[in-house]
Amino acid sequence: MDALIVTQAINVVYAVSTLAVLTLGLAVIFGLLGVLNIAHGEFVMIGAYCAYLTQSWNWPYLVALPLTLALCALLGAAVERIMIRPLYRRPFDTLVATWGLSLLLRKIAEAIFGPGFHSVTIPLPGTVQFLGIEYPIYRVVLIAVSFAVAAVLMIWYGRSRTGSRIRAMVSNPELAQAQGISVRRLAAATFIAGTCLAGLGGVMVAPLVPVQPFMGLDYVLRAFFVLVVGGLGSVPGLLSGAAAIGGVDSAISAASNATDGYFAVLVLAILFLWLKPRGLIARG
Amino acid sequence: MVSMRQGPNRRTFLGAAAAGAAFGALPGLARRAAAANREFKIGLFIPLSGPASLFGPTDRACAELAAEEINKSGGILGRSIKLIPTDAGGPPAETAKSAVRLMLEENVDLFIGSHDSATREALVATVKGKIPYIYTPVYEGGECAFNVYCLGETPNQQAHPSIGWLAAERKAKTYYLIGDDYVWPRKTNAETKKYIAANGGKTIGEEYVPYGAPNKFEEVVTRIKSAKPDVVVSTLVGADNVNFNRTFAGFGLDKNIARLAFLLEENTLLGIGADNSRNLYSCMGYFANVPSPANTKFKAAYHAKLGPKAPQLSTIGVDCYAGVNCAHALVAKAGGTNGKKCMAASEGLTFKTAAGPATMRGRQVDKTMFLADCKGTQFEVIKTFANVPSGSACKT
Amino acid sequence: MRAASLVVVIALALPLVLGQFWAYQLGLYALYASAAIGIGLCWGQSGFLPLGQALFFGLSAYLSGFAFIAFQQHSFIAVLTMPVIAFVSGLFAYGIGFVVLRRPGENTAYFSMITLALSLLAFQIATSWNSVTGGFDGLKGIPGLPGLSDLSDVYYVSAAVLLIVLGLASWLYHAPLGVLWRALAQNERRLALLGFDVRMLKAVAFAVSGFMAGVGGAVYAPQQGIVTPQLVGFGLSADLVIWAAIGGRASLIGPVIGTLLVGSLSAELRDSVPFWEVLMALFFIVIVLAFPQGIAGLIEPAWQRLEGRPRGPAPVLAPKGLTDRPAARLALSDVSVHLGEVTILDHLSLDFDRAGIFCVIGPNGAGKTSMFNVVSGELAASSGRVDLGGMEIGALAPHRISHLGLARKLQIPSVFPHLSIADNLAIALWSGRATKLQLLDPRLRRWTSPMLEELKSRYPFLASGGRKAAELSHGEQQILELAMALLTEPRVLLLDEPCAGLSPEETGAVVDIVRWAARRLRGSVIIVEHDMSLVKELAELVYVLHNGTLLARGSVAAVQASPAVRAVYVGGTK
Repeated sequence: MDALIVTQAINVVYAVSTLAVLTLGLAVIFGLLGVLNIAHGEFVMIGAYCAYLTQSWNWPYLVALPLTLALCALLGAAVERIMIRPLYRRPFDTLVATWGLSLLLRKIAEAIFGPGFHSVTIPLPGTVQFLGIEYPIYRVVLIAVSFAVAAVLMIWYGRSRTGSRIRAMVSNPELAQAQGISVRRLAAATFIAGTCLAGLGGVMVAPLVPVQPFMGLDYVLRAFFVLVVGGLGSVPGLLSGAAAIGGVDSAISAASNATDGYFAVLVLAILFLWLKPRGLIARG
Repeated sequence: MVSMRQGPNRRTFLGAAAAGAAFGALPGLARRAAAANREFKIGLFIPLSGPASLFGPTDRACAELAAEEINKSGGILGRSIKLIPTDAGGPPAETAKSAVRLMLEENVDLFIGSHDSATREALVATVKGKIPYIYTPVYEGGECAFNVYCLGETPNQQAHPSIGWLAAERKAKTYYLIGDDYVWPRKTNAETKKYIAANGGKTIGEEYVPYGAPNKFEEVVTRIKSAKPDVVVSTLVGADNVNFNRTFAGFGLDKNIARLAFLLEENTLLGIGADNSRNLYSCMGYFANVPSPANTKFKAAYHAKLGPKAPQLSTIGVDCYAGVNCAHALVAKAGGTNGKKCMAASEGLTFKTAAGPATMRGRQVDKTMFLADCKGTQFEVIKTFANVPSGSACKT
Repeated sequence: MRAASLVVVIALALPLVLGQFWAYQLGLYALYASAAIGIGLCWGQSGFLPLGQALFFGLSAYLSGFAFIAFQQHSFIAVLTMPVIAFVSGLFAYGIGFVVLRRPGENTAYFSMITLALSLLAFQIATSWNSVTGGFDGLKGIPGLPGLSDLSDVYYVSAAVLLIVLGLASWLYHAPLGVLWRALAQNERRLALLGFDVRMLKAVAFAVSGFMAGVGGAVYAPQQGIVTPQLVGFGLSADLVIWAAIGGRASLIGPVIGTLLVGSLSAELRDSVPFWEVLMALFFIVIVLAFPQGIAGLIEPAWQRLEGRPRGPAPVLAPKGLTDRPAARLALSDVSVHLGEVTILDHLSLDFDRAGIFCVIGPNGAGKTSMFNVVSGELAASSGRVDLGGMEIGALAPHRISHLGLARKLQIPSVFPHLSIADNLAIALWSGRATKLQLLDPRLRRWTSPMLEELKSRYPFLASGGRKAAELSHGEQQILELAMALLTEPRVLLLDEPCAGLSPEETGAVVDIVRWAARRLRGSVIIVEHDMSLVKELAELVYVLHNGTLLARGSVAAVQASPAVRAVYVGGTK
């Protein structure tokens, strides 16, 4: 019984940390640029397919990282230039345009890889014993990497020069421009960073899920709910949102069943959107 | 759907006459004149879009292979078969609309469908038995509408032999059932629980995950681990089934707990992956590795036609092969597509399937079922059960 | 009218021309089109995008399905429930709109996502609640509409429903309500300051769209005989948005064109054209990026020629205001405003106790504009009270304060740029004069008032009604906005730097109009101004604000002589 509770508790931690890392890309783009990138999930999908390709070419798993980053950066740059830049002040239009993009990317993936499932072998198979329980190694590593990525991002955003420029751009684009910051280039870089983070998340979860063209849909909504609950523009907000959404889902799934967990997530998101649309931890 | 509820009447006639008058009766007359030696048109409803579309290419290839073979030997009643593949992967209303189009504009003679039950219900309500409708995939059983014929595995055919075998050979006592929350898993599990009890076993857990939601399975697997069943029976479908089995093995439960899945075919197994398929069983009416002479012949023909890039064979796809063959046998025996005659002809009807001949009873099929053990991403058939009854019989 | 009759003739003739299957197909898409018109109403007219519109379509389809099954023996009763069901769906939308759209402006994107989440939730409920909805396999065996037998009959029912919804939309778009919706999308703040309850306007727009979707859904159930969870889900919701966008969301007929054309083309070509969906996705992106007006934008000119310009010029005199307005006396007592750590107003007390022209001056950051924001109800005071004619207005919403006789002109000209000058002025006339029901009467667009006629004779450009406000020069827009503020015939008029950025001639014009207004309204005009020459010219009394509190009060000369005031100005601005 004890082992059950401990394992379920770690399941909650796992759910929260993977959700956080899968939300980062969306959070960066939405929080900093005000653009809701509905195609976020498709960039996760691209990461997952890169992982699949890397394995099918018998390369080491980590090669998937540069491959994904390169692909997502290229694609992100093109998308930003063609679709996002002309629409920065039209939030609904970016929403529907990126929705079209998600459809497009999904169909392209289907044309290249077919509609079927692909399986990515877990690079670190097996389980590890701790706290009197047994837990899959790869998931433990994933928890650690997720927290590391979030921490690095938070420190970089808070301390680095680029981070402070981005903060300047977000709080007052005209002023930032006047201070010699190229808002246009910075916004493009931010968008690319967001797509790359999404791809990175894809590489991380690829060994655990069925890799297929439709997989992206699952991620974008949950990620959006995390932002809604957590609030925009801060890593602590993101983590608290992931903790609320992922935690509630996982905890209720553990205590009751998955249906209740899913309903709880939807209701929680709606309540937050309605009652506290700025989230738990809002910027400024 | 309203319009199909009563047969054509005066107003239909008037409408058609007016349309004819406005746009020339000539094409209509020509069509009727050509009807004598026209093709035998079959509307083939397969998923070409949506998540189930991974079955679409195989469905189509198998149906085309059967049509080609039949056409070589003279077609149906001397008419060569023309397949009209139509998407059934969207919402049921869209598919029903396509059915209306096929009936009104293409004058199709028969429907074959491989899609979910919601779409089947919509099609049954639309077609109203006007032309025969052969429903091919694995399903929950019990479809008895007029002029509808079901070929797929029923819960009885899957659960009866497999639970019996697990109880006898693996001495399984305790079972945990996990499925998606809709009709097929619930009906299949009801049947499964019956056989578990009949074999002296015990169902120690039964749970469902929301169908169509982005599910994850860490919590379920942890719960199963602590319940320590001998067997987990999965009625999850598609991505959920892949996800569950990968998580299950990831947590190391595959070492000691056997898994039996009721919708596990070659595509799903590819998704689950070789690392996660230990102690995993499937019970279906066909596997690509079924070692029967009929299957060897079928596969040779299939690969000769489609070459090295042939879509993956699996039970859902080859059921479309059976579907076209069934249509051939049924219409030939009934001498046409008249509903009453077809219903009568269906009883005891024997037709060709990929795994060997099958016989129809009560408009369902007595099937030869295969129990397979997963070896990597291949199925190894370990036991064959001949002529398992469907468990539901409809009036003929 | 010509356009309308053409549409009716086409609708009647279609099944004869296209044949039975197309009648059936269009019969189905006509129902979706009703819902798509609702999207156009919210997105194209009112400026907020509902992403879960299938919620209302599906909800009514289920309800209608239950009704037809329950009243199997008395199908005419089931038919009677259909309008009720559509109404319930509209009411449900109203509830959601009213509750969710509480805050102005910023949360419209959130509103989109709430509707999306609600639609997902409804899908899951419909899928999981097997005993009631039939679960994933759907609610089956719904009897058909009585008395209909073939595909053409079904088509005519759907077409009639679509025409009714189109008629309703056309009427609303021409009525003052439609003008207000478009105004809402362009400048929500101005509309609130003019005395309109923007939250209510949005909720009503959403309710009407919910009703339109509900009408389609209520007919869908008996037409199709089966209702499945997809009908409340995200897929249909997204399709409706795409159809409305491609057809042209801003136009009346656009969403209908989009739905009928794209929907039926997709159904036809999906099976035969490889990568049809890739093409559709690309097409959709191009439309959003390059042709926000959609297909309707391309055919609109022809349509308009067809429609003609029926509205005669005969103006109608607007009635007097609906409410009795208190005397022109504005007083702030001990008002403080804090934002976080920052104190913006610090126990500020001001009394404008008679008619006349007053100027409020002070260095940047003195709290002048914040004082205006408090008075107009846009900024809540942390403490203290604000009275207008002896009534406390501190807790009232901007539109209520406007009804009590307060008008405000913003610093940067704030008009409705894409509405005609005539509509801009008409909106101001409706404020406080038109009842809620009257907003449905298109004749209100011809309202005029003695003051409007006087303004038009002073500034002839105000009479060139058809031009869009955006086409006016900066100075003309300032005057238009000022005219709009005046037309509400306020007792207290707040002007925030009315001459900023104007040429000397234009400045002269504004000075004239301010003087004229003060006489004409017999109320007080309170001006925030930096330009001391203007202050000298206009002000009867000057109030000097500094650090959120009153520093001095008196005539221009007295204030200029005050050592405290000099100290502040010489010490430079903060």
